[in-house]
Amino acid sequence: MGKRKLTFEEALEQLETIAERIEQGKIGLEESINQYERGMALVKQCRDILAKAELKIERLQPRADGTVETTPFERTGEKDGES
Amino acid sequence: MVCAMARQPFNPNLIQVPESEQLYARSGPLTVSQVTVLVKQAIESALPPTLHVIGEISNFKRHSSGHVYFTLKDRASELSCVMWRSAAAKLKFDPTDGLEVIATGGVEVFERAGRYQLYVRKLEPRGVGALELAFRQRCEKLAREGLFNEKHKRPLPAYPTRIALVTSPTGAAVADILRTLERRYPCIAVLIDPVRVQGPGSADEIAAAIRRVNVNRVSLGGVDLMIVGRGGGSLEDLWAFNEEVVARAIFASRIPIVSAVGHEVDVTIADLVADVRAATPTAAAELAVPVLADVLAGLDAYVLRLSRAVRSQAELVAARVSAVLRRSPFREPLNLVHRREQLVDELSNRMHRSLIELARARRHRLDELEPVVQRIAPHAHLLKRAVELRDAEHRLRWAMSTRLIEVERSIGRCVRRLDRVSPVNAFPRFADRLHRVADALPVAMRHRFSLHRERLRRHVERLGAMSYKSVLGRGFSITRTRRGRMVVRSLRQLEDRQRIVTEIADGEFQSEVVNLSQLELFD
Repeated sequence: MGKRKLTFEEALEQLETIAERIEQGKIGLEESINQYERGMALVKQCRDILAKAELKIERLQPRADGTVETTPFERTGEKDGES
Repeated sequence: MVCAMARQPFNPNLIQVPESEQLYARSGPLTVSQVTVLVKQAIESALPPTLHVIGEISNFKRHSSGHVYFTLKDRASELSCVMWRSAAAKLKFDPTDGLEVIATGGVEVFERAGRYQLYVRKLEPRGVGALELAFRQRCEKLAREGLFNEKHKRPLPAYPTRIALVTSPTGAAVADILRTLERRYPCIAVLIDPVRVQGPGSADEIAAAIRRVNVNRVSLGGVDLMIVGRGGGSLEDLWAFNEEVVARAIFASRIPIVSAVGHEVDVTIADLVADVRAATPTAAAELAVPVLADVLAGLDAYVLRLSRAVRSQAELVAARVSAVLRRSPFREPLNLVHRREQLVDELSNRMHRSLIELARARRHRLDELEPVVQRIAPHAHLLKRAVELRDAEHRLRWAMSTRLIEVERSIGRCVRRLDRVSPVNAFPRFADRLHRVADALPVAMRHRFSLHRERLRRHVERLGAMSYKSVLGRGFSITRTRRGRMVVRSLRQLEDRQRIVTEIADGEFQSEVVNLSQLELFD
């Protein structure tokens, strides 16, 4: 595993590279198995990312110094305050 | 052309200036100011307070104070117009010379210049709405600057993790977007920067929010997409999204932006600048995220693909291994070793044989030499040499057998290594070494033998020379003929009166043969 957590996209990219590498058959069986294990770890990582079942919603509140803080966002119904 | 769209038509009879008439009658000539006041009163009381005037703008000037001055004209006449800063600030479009407009305001007299002017409170382009015109004008301007240029459009991330929403926190848009995100891809975080989306100051708020999210995107944990928009409404309601400040904020954003303003038919400047325009807020959410089930299916496909690839490679390798195992070195792995061992046996037999032969030859030669030596040397001396010789022979044999043991050991090592490493790779190396050893041994042996042969020859020579002198010292002498200096071995070599030379230990002397008679040789 890398030092930094991979983004979902990077993980998918690596998966693609690994799949191609094994399919091309240019690496030995042992290396293929290593790559396979790495690929499976990446799949698990991706699935973990996707496993969050609930949208996390926060509200941005500007501070005076230009930074922001986040507070939980409370969803009001479906009323339309615009039109 | 001046249209007085007042309720009552202009009627000069209605102007009642009895007081000024009195003034005129009483005071004779009037001052300029007095006339101006009269004119002002006459005009302002005669005209309705609000007029709508159609004309073409010319000589348009925006003063640094913010007030705007221009002339409205038609084919026949011109009308000076003033628009105060407060009214000018509300202008949605950019008035330019030659533009046909409808100006709304009242005519008043500007006393200091003695001039009447239309004080314009509202200016609208003729034919199209002001907003419509403003929209077109701004589009042209920003298009010229390249804000809509395709080359500035960034692709949206395929799998965003944190999406910022710049919209009203209570509107239909935010509800639509959240619902859609939840349905499709609930594994993300959403940050809502609440803004007003219509009314004065809303454009500035929207622009500020876009900038704020950009500035704080790292501390927020990385924002990879922004949705800016609102639900449907009138052109006026959506107007904030046509403002230049919003357009510039979107253009400057480092985060890709999906715009979602109003309904399908509404196109705002924000839509044109944004990286992707969504027809509605719901569509924006659909563009922003993939469908979770599809992504999971994609992962499953990878699992299948990886497993298949590894399995097929493993099968290939297995087939290759069994093909190799079918080949003879693996079926009879010791065959090669046995063949080499046989060769070694043969070579060692040959070496033994040649050794024995050589030794036998030396012994034979020694046997030949022995009587000669014994004849001329003391036995002890001879014996010593013989012992030395035998020693040499023994050493020779010993060296040979040591070498042989070494060779056999190295073969043993080779065999063991052969067992350890892959036989296919090790055989050629092993064979090569074996051949080298086999080639080198006879050469070494020959060299050794010739060395000893030479030493033996030298010993024999020295032995001969030394024994001859020592014999003289013990009283023996050698007699030679004077002519030819032949050693006298037989009477047949001599005759009477012949001169002979006799060598003894410390010199020689001559004598003459007399009384030649046959003697018996002593043994």
